[in-house]
Formats: sequence, structure tokens, C-alpha cells
Amino acid sequence: VSVPPPTPLPHAPKLTGRAPRDDPALARQLAAIVGDRRVLRRPGELRSYESDGLPGYQQRPSLAVFPGTRDETIAVVRLLADWGVPFVPRGAGTGLSGGALADDVVLLGLHRLSRIISVDADNARAVVEPGVVNSTLTRAVAPFGLHYAPDPSSQTACTIGGNVAENAGGPHCLKYGVTVNHVLAATVLLPSGEVVSLGNAAGESDGYDLLGAFVGSEGCFGVALDVTVSLARLPEAVRTLLADFTTVLDAAEAVSAIIASGILPAALELMDAATIQAVEASIYAAGYPVDAAAILLIELDGAAAGLDDDAARVERFCLDARARGVRVAADATERAKLWQGRKKAFGAMGRMSSHLVVQDAVVPRTRLPEILAEIERIGAAHGVSVCNVFHAGDGNLHPNIAYDASNADEARRVHDAMSQVMEACIAAGGTITGEHGVGLDKLPYMDRLFSPATLDAMCALRSVFDPDRRANPGKVVPVHSCREWHAAPSTRHA
Amino acid sequence: MTTMLGCDSTAAVAERIREARATGTTLRLVGAGGWLDAGRPCPAEHRVELRPLAGVTEYEAGDLTLTARAGTTLSEIERATAPEGQWLTLDPFGSADGTIGATVATASHGPLSSSYGTPRDHLLGCESVSGTGDVIRSGGRVVKNVAGFDLPRLMCGAWGTLGVLTEITVRLRARPEVDRTLVVALRDESAGACADAWRWLRASPFTPLAAELLSASIARRLGLGERAVLALRLGGNEALVRSAERTVAELGDVRTVAGSLWDDLRRSEPSGSVVIRLGALPADIGSLWAAAGTLAERAGGFAHSTLGRGVVRCVVPIAELEEDNGRLWGIIGQLQAAGSRIFERLPSSLWSGIPSPASDPISRGVRRAFDPDHLLNPGILGESA
Repeated sequence: VSVPPPTPLPHAPKLTGRAPRDDPALARQLAAIVGDRRVLRRPGELRSYESDGLPGYQQRPSLAVFPGTRDETIAVVRLLADWGVPFVPRGAGTGLSGGALADDVVLLGLHRLSRIISVDADNARAVVEPGVVNSTLTRAVAPFGLHYAPDPSSQTACTIGGNVAENAGGPHCLKYGVTVNHVLAATVLLPSGEVVSLGNAAGESDGYDLLGAFVGSEGCFGVALDVTVSLARLPEAVRTLLADFTTVLDAAEAVSAIIASGILPAALELMDAATIQAVEASIYAAGYPVDAAAILLIELDGAAAGLDDDAARVERFCLDARARGVRVAADATERAKLWQGRKKAFGAMGRMSSHLVVQDAVVPRTRLPEILAEIERIGAAHGVSVCNVFHAGDGNLHPNIAYDASNADEARRVHDAMSQVMEACIAAGGTITGEHGVGLDKLPYMDRLFSPATLDAMCALRSVFDPDRRANPGKVVPVHSCREWHAAPSTRHA
Repeated sequence: MTTMLGCDSTAAVAERIREARATGTTLRLVGAGGWLDAGRPCPAEHRVELRPLAGVTEYEAGDLTLTARAGTTLSEIERATAPEGQWLTLDPFGSADGTIGATVATASHGPLSSSYGTPRDHLLGCESVSGTGDVIRSGGRVVKNVAGFDLPRLMCGAWGTLGVLTEITVRLRARPEVDRTLVVALRDESAGACADAWRWLRASPFTPLAAELLSASIARRLGLGERAVLALRLGGNEALVRSAERTVAELGDVRTVAGSLWDDLRRSEPSGSVVIRLGALPADIGSLWAAAGTLAERAGGFAHSTLGRGVVRCVVPIAELEEDNGRLWGIIGQLQAAGSRIFERLPSSLWSGIPSPASDPISRGVRRAFDPDHLLNPGILGESA
């Protein structure tokens, strides 16, 4: 790591009665860096940036700026530091926790930094800019027999920079690990405008794991200018199984049996009846059995030798858990179809109502059956219909509710039901987010999960990277829980 | 005179730290005490003994997670998990008598890191007591978790300087159906032989649990013959392992050996060794291997390499060097690597020349945030206040 001295407190130019972020002079100076077309100020222009993947929230940025190169990004962030203006980094805006919402602050869009800088096939790694789309990277390295393993459902749109900010997961993270397990190094632009390199792309790291702390920091520690990721080999063989159950609990029992057996599937996904029906009624219809109470989509991959033995054992575990049948995808086309139904399940549910709330709680895997029963009970008590489609192998639940946010009564019931679901998951020894991040959406639960001293430590860590707390303000840790933030600046740790 | 302060609870640790803070006393954190010669000299006034803070506190086999107090030894965890057919896939060099707290604090790992990763990939949550005596519980017991900033990863490899680890939750794995160890004799210790082994590993469709190159000197000591070997630990079902064995035969003469090889290797370092870990891009591992192997043998030591990770570890007994620091420096100086050079153990007189990995402003800021008075293991990372 090499870092120049810490930033002085922001020295904003003299104010003209406006908040500095609304000052036309700031817009002019930003435009001088990125060009007029890349600075948006008018409400109509900003409409697309008023929301991200979290429904029911709209916040308008004061302006949006879209640098196209690394140097422009550095110049923009330095200018914002000079002005003392807060900013919210944004990749593709697909995040589901409201992390990219900018409430009257500057929105820093990074999707134009979309170069794959290098691919080192021998060492199975690539260096990419933050705006590279997840599936674009996987396609680019496929000719070398490689792929980028973390595969969020939004992978055809979401960016690596956003994935790093959220420590994103995906179905195949069960075997391959989440984003943090695949990031070797990053060049990071701190909110002060200083550039530091974290991690070591060519060897081992020593000292504090600052890279580990940066991944998943939800844009509060700065933005990545480039990221070195490790790539996984394409497996020699793949088996994709679809098991069909008459109760969700039977499917959950099969999950437990598979996990306990020592077989580590690449992915182990559960979809309930409501999800299956939504998918089958959409253009993503995958041929799922519409009368099933639940299906498991199980993928095994690796060396061809022994894979069929594992598949046979998995099939046996499903049948022992009273599966009606287990189907094995015959070829790559059928496999792709089965997966498309899973990956587009959120889109399919989106057709049913104007809004869709997607939750992301995690429970210990042995608690899955009871928590699924509890979720069903909570949904019924509030008169809402919960669809479950989730990473069963990880215990990472995605209870979803399609609803109409303009109906105040329905919106309140949905909110109350989701709060109770979160409370139930916490009570079961779980957590409030497995891969989507805290953002704005899960802030209210942070006090339930962590002690004041722990939240204070998180605040202190954030202050080391961003002493002025201008990067993605108000996200991740509730401001009221930061003891030191109530103190005068001169007594701050950093 | 150092005072020993035994701690058998988190509250006791917090109390010791608050007392230390009130009196401005520095603390040396001690687990099983087996690795005290690792890292830099740590001139603290009192020792905090954490071995009494032991025991598995929560283990639900179906979840494949385990929570233990930090002074629990790796062998105690092994005894708890083995009856369930599970294991904690961390095998740091030294012995299984080391504690889970020290393993995480020092981010120590061994041959299994080739497939399962390092402690940062196993750690799900932890409880620690900061240098201000605050108890911090972060992460959790679930295998996927992005709630809040990642304090556990920060604690991992911090050598106790950001807090005393008191409880740790780790991910476990189910033991493979078949776990077989093979050794392949390599033609020599050259860069080319190493590169061939790496290319074979990279091209093979299966991932061995471990793939460790051993120099001839350590191979000899472990009774594996006179030549350098590639030691492979194959795991999976019978069909997979059998097929893997057939492919390994392409590399040279193969024989199956007892799995105790891995424990023997972990314990093979004479106390008072100099240990240097070199890192490079995996494709460049050959030249590093040749240089490290030659120097280690010349100095009466040995080298081994976790091939897939691009890491070569060089072990040289200090006694062999007749306390001739000039010669030792000459050897160390020649051990350069494009990627990284990490000193695990050095004679205390040599540390002053090694730059601290925690001297940059962010690391210093992190230390200030968690241990503002530098009470915990002062100097162990070479940092200055």
C-alpha cells in the first residue's frame, strides 16, 4: 500500500447561498473534465438515476457525472473533494439494497470505465475497469477455457465495480466463493482523491487485509479504478439436475442431505410454487413442473470422472426426501434453459405487479425448513404472497413479494411482513444480507444485529478511508450509532 | 519482568486490556506459545495467556460451521469434527497444537490452502476485544454474509494488533470419501521440472486438495527418496481419485504413501529456523523454486512450494549459519521474488532492516482506530506509533 498524507478537511469555495453540490460553477468545472454531455443536471435527465434495483424508493441526485477514463475519474473525485461535496458511486444501478440511491448529492456513474485492461490466461487472472459488465468478462475469457465465477442473477447488466462494492454472490458461489474470494488486487481512488493500491496481484499480501475490508464496503471507502480478479477454469463436465417436490420442506430436507454428504454442488437453488408459476407464465418459461410445490436446481461440475457417481448420489438424496422425480439436463441447451428460468425469476415476478421487493436474509442451513414455514405464516398473516427463490446450499434466502407500491395499505403490509421475516432470520442465528448489501434498505436492522461497540468500530474503519464521510453518505451503518461521529472533528481517530 | 495474565473469558480479556490502558502497560498475546518466534520481536511488558480461553462453543454439523473460543487448538477442533466426517481445512506449518486464534491472527496456512484457501476464506465471524477494551462481534455463523463492513477479514492476519481474538466461527468441509496421498519423483530440482509440474496441475481437470513440491532435502528427511517430489493429496469419490491417479502417472514414477506425510511435513521445521515465503505469478514459479531450493540446500535447509498458489517457502536452520549474519543476509538477499517476500521467522537482529507492511497511512489509521495506544503486540508488524 502506498498512500500520500491524509486529506485536509474539505476547503469548499465560498458558498453562494446554494448548497455547493447545486452550484452551477461545480457543474461547469465537472463538465470541463468530462464534457458537457456527461454532466446531467435537469430533473428530466436525472430521472433514470432516481432509483436502483430497490423498488419503492426514489431519490434525485443534485447532478450526475460520468467520467470516461481513469484520469477523468480521478480529476472528478479530486474536484468533489475540493468542493467538499458528497457523492454516490454507481455502476449499472442493479443493486437491490438502495446502495446507489443519491439523495440530493452528486451521483458518480462509473459504467463508462468498461475496458478489460488485460487477461493473463496462464495465471488465470484479468485486470478490468470497474464498469466492465460481469458476463462480458466471462464471455471474453471463455476462449481461454476460463470464466469469472461469481454470477449474480443480474450478471448480464451488473458491473464488476458494483460487484466489488457489494461483495456480490450468485448461484455458483456455493462452490466457487463470492466476489471477495476472487479479487486479488485493486487500485482504489479514495474519496480524498488519493490513489492507493490494495492487495498484491503477483504474490501474497502482508499486513492488514485492507483489500478484504474494501470489498463489500458499498462505495463508502472509495471507488476501484481497476480490479485484478482471479478466473476459474471451465469445468471439464457439468451435470444439471432438476428435482421436483410436493412440499417445500421435502426440498429443504434434500438440501440438508446433499450438503451433509460432502458433495459440493456448484449450485443448489430452490424455487417454490409461486416462483415456478411466475417463471412458467413468462417468456423465460423453462419447462419447470407447474404443479410442484418446490424444485431444486442442482448443478455438479468438475472433472468428468466420478461426476456421474455424484449425480447418482444426489438423485438418491432427492428421492429419499420424497422427490416426485429427478430430471438431468440432456445437453447444454436444456441446461441453459433451466438456468434462464432461475436467473430471470425476478424479472418474471416483476410482470405480476408494479413493484417487487427482493430480500436477502441468510440462516444456518439446518434452520431452512423451519424458517420457510415461518415465512409462509408471516405472509399469510399479512395477506401478502411471498415467493421464494434462493441459494439453498448457502442458506441464503430471497423471499420476494410482488406488490403495488402506490397502494399504501398493501405497501405497509409488505413492509411489515418483510420486517418480521428479517426478525425471524436474525432470531434463527442468521443475518440480514448475504449478497445484496445493507445500503439504505437494511439500515434499520443493523442495530438488531450488531452491538453499539461493533457499529462504532465499523464507523471508525470507514473514517480511516473517508475521514470526511463524503462517499455514499448515510449508507451501511446508521449514523446515530457512530459515537465518534458525534465528537468534534479534531477528536476523530482518523 | 514479564507478568503472565491468564484469561479464561472475554470479560477477563476486556478487564486486562482496560487495566493495561489505565496503566499504559503493553501486552503480548500468547496462544499455545508455539509460534512466539514468528514475526518481529515484541517487547511488551505483560503476557496475556489465551490458551485457557478454550472450547468449542457451538457446533451444528448440518450447518458445516463451528464456533470456538480463540484458545482452542486445531487438534481439539479436529477431535470435535472428525466423528461427523467433517474437518477444518486449515493446516498451518508448526503443529495441530497451535490455537485457532493464532492461526487466524497470523493468517497461517499450509498445503491445503492450494484448494481450500487461507484463513480469510474460512473465517465467518469473530469476537475480539479492541485496544480500548471494547468487545466487537462481527460477521456471523452463516456461510454468506455482507452485513456491515468486513471486520473479521481485517482481524485475520493483523497479528492481534487490532484486537484480541476471543471467539471465532469458521466454515468446515465434509471430509472427502477418499483421501489419498501420492508422491511423484521429479527428474531434478530445476526450474524446468517445477514448471512442468505446474503446467500439469493447471491442465488437469481435477483440483487436488494439496499439491506441494518438496525439495530433495526434505523429501529425504521424510523418507520419500533422494529426489525432489511433487506430493499430491487427492480427494473425492473413488472414480475421480482413480482417474486422477492415472493422469498423475504422466508426470513420472508415482507411489502412494501414508497421509501422515502431511503432518510430518507440518512438523518438519527445526525450531530456530529462518523461514522466508516468496510469491510470484504461478506461471513464473519455476525460477523462484530453483533459486530457493539451491540456497536452502546449500544452507542446510529445504524448500517447498504450494504450486498452484505461486508460493515457495524456504526454511533454513540458523545454527547452520554459525550466527554469521553477513552470510545469512547474503542468502536472504538472493531470495528475491517478483511478487512478494514475506519473512515468517528471522533472528531478531535482522528484523530492523525489513520494512513494515503496516506503515502506510491507511494501516496506521486502522491501528489508531482499533488500538489507539498501541497496547496490543506492539512492534510485531514493525509499525511505529
